[in-house]
Amino acid sequence: MYSFAQIFKMDLSNNSKNVVLIGLNTVFFILMVLIFGFLSEGVYADPMTSYNYYGVSLLVFTIFNGAMTATNSFMERDIKKPNLRIIHSPVGKSAIYFSKILASFIFNYVCHLLVVVLMMLTMNLNFGGHLFGYIMLLMLPLEFVSSALGVFFCCFFRTEEMASTLISNVLSIFALLGGIFFSLESMGPSLAWISKFSPMKWIMDACFTIIFDGSLSMLWPVFWLSIVASILLIYGCEKCFRTEDYLC
Amino acid sequence: MTKLLEVKQLKKSFKEKEVLKGISFGVEQGEVLCFLGPNGAGKSTTINILTSSLQKDHGEIQYEGQPIEARLRSYKQQLGVVPQEIALYEQLSAERNVRFFASLYGLRGKQLSKAVEEALEFAGLVDRRKDKVKTFSGGMKRRLNIACAIAHSPKLVIMDEPTVGIDPQSRNHILDTIKQLRNKGMTVIYTTHYMEEVEAISSRIIIMDHGAIIAEGTKESLKESIQHEKSYYIEAENIQNLNEAALYHIEGVKSVQIEEGCIKIVTLRDVENLDRIITLLVDQQVRIVNIASKIASLETVFLKLTGRKLRD
Repeated sequence: MYSFAQIFKMDLSNNSKNVVLIGLNTVFFILMVLIFGFLSEGVYADPMTSYNYYGVSLLVFTIFNGAMTATNSFMERDIKKPNLRIIHSPVGKSAIYFSKILASFIFNYVCHLLVVVLMMLTMNLNFGGHLFGYIMLLMLPLEFVSSALGVFFCCFFRTEEMASTLISNVLSIFALLGGIFFSLESMGPSLAWISKFSPMKWIMDACFTIIFDGSLSMLWPVFWLSIVASILLIYGCEKCFRTEDYLC
Repeated sequence: MTKLLEVKQLKKSFKEKEVLKGISFGVEQGEVLCFLGPNGAGKSTTINILTSSLQKDHGEIQYEGQPIEARLRSYKQQLGVVPQEIALYEQLSAERNVRFFASLYGLRGKQLSKAVEEALEFAGLVDRRKDKVKTFSGGMKRRLNIACAIAHSPKLVIMDEPTVGIDPQSRNHILDTIKQLRNKGMTVIYTTHYMEEVEAISSRIIIMDHGAIIAEGTKESLKESIQHEKSYYIEAENIQNLNEAALYHIEGVKSVQIEEGCIKIVTLRDVENLDRIITLLVDQQVRIVNIASKIASLETVFLKLTGRKLRD
């Protein structure tokens, strides 16, 4: 446990010192909300302003994009080499990938939460008012599942480049289908039907239901599904992780 | 000496290519065992399997008489690995690197601080302990790479080409470090393709080529095993007086070559004939300036065994 704590602290510290990761999880998020909110100003009727819509939709997108933090901390070139030493140490192999998942999860959660609070305070965005605690709660398993996804892709596809490219493509498709950038529901019944297959759509719906309807009906299904998905991804990591992938 | 590590019939293939063809060897406690071979000989694959970062296809590895799989954690606890690549956090200080990697072996508190101190001192990096690794020269990084592997005082240290691409001063420092490790009773497995390093530090040598062990022994015994001949290099004046054919009448002489004031005489190793050669030269009015006898080098051994130079 002591050794695991050391690795976890090191992973968290590495993430916290990575300017690109910090930017991707904070500044990029804010900029996207500002740009998309500005471009579609007036499209949405009260109480859902364009900034409110994109604040929530891009939060979901940014949470999933957090998988990149995990791929980076797992196999990024400069980190991969010292990770080899961890493999040589008496620490079990599960501690290696699990510490990356945990460190990425905490780093992403803190970054995203800070940005959300900042947007609430400065842009007066609505993240549920007195129900904001439930949004925070829902973010927890989502952040975890995205970190586990990033590490699982690394374990499965063996390289960070391959994992990052695939994650980026898959997330972009889910984001487009899920209406992250623009709602597909106004574009005909076929596209609206297709959008139901995007997990981002379900999560966005859960968030909107909490924030604008004050209902928690979708919170728990999404919450538990994310936990089940996390467990499956960790199981996948255990099965696919091979120490020799670090040797080249 | 007791056997610390024993490897039996180790095999490994990557796809169709068999890179280890059933090699077997033992490592005695307190020795420096050097693996010598060209790139692609199978040295690093052997090392990676010994560090259990690569799965073997077949064979057995025993540490202190037990299969390593049965006691992997305790085996790794007693193992220090210096990988071929520099495996350090460049953004962190030298001290922070050693501290972190030593802590993975359960060291903490004063014990950890003492171990870090000793490792940095060993690597000659005490003065630069607070500096970030990215500011270090290649040689200093290599030394720190070793410090991180030995801070927890392992019984067995495995070094995979730890001197690649560094200046002679740092190389000498590293070689001295290995001698000190040996003097402290640590067992070292060392791979390289530099003959001079093997000459300097090895207790025993394993020569590998194409995934197989082609020779094993001390450097003296390896040289001995191929040395059926010896060569005399005689620098002389008035060589034109020499009747070359007369030299062939001396027992054991196999060939005579004369070039630029030097007579090279190859003779059978077991025949003591130097006195007769000298007498003949003196009789023929050849003035001897210097006589040298060439001893076979490991390079010669390797050339004889494989038919090619080590760095071909």
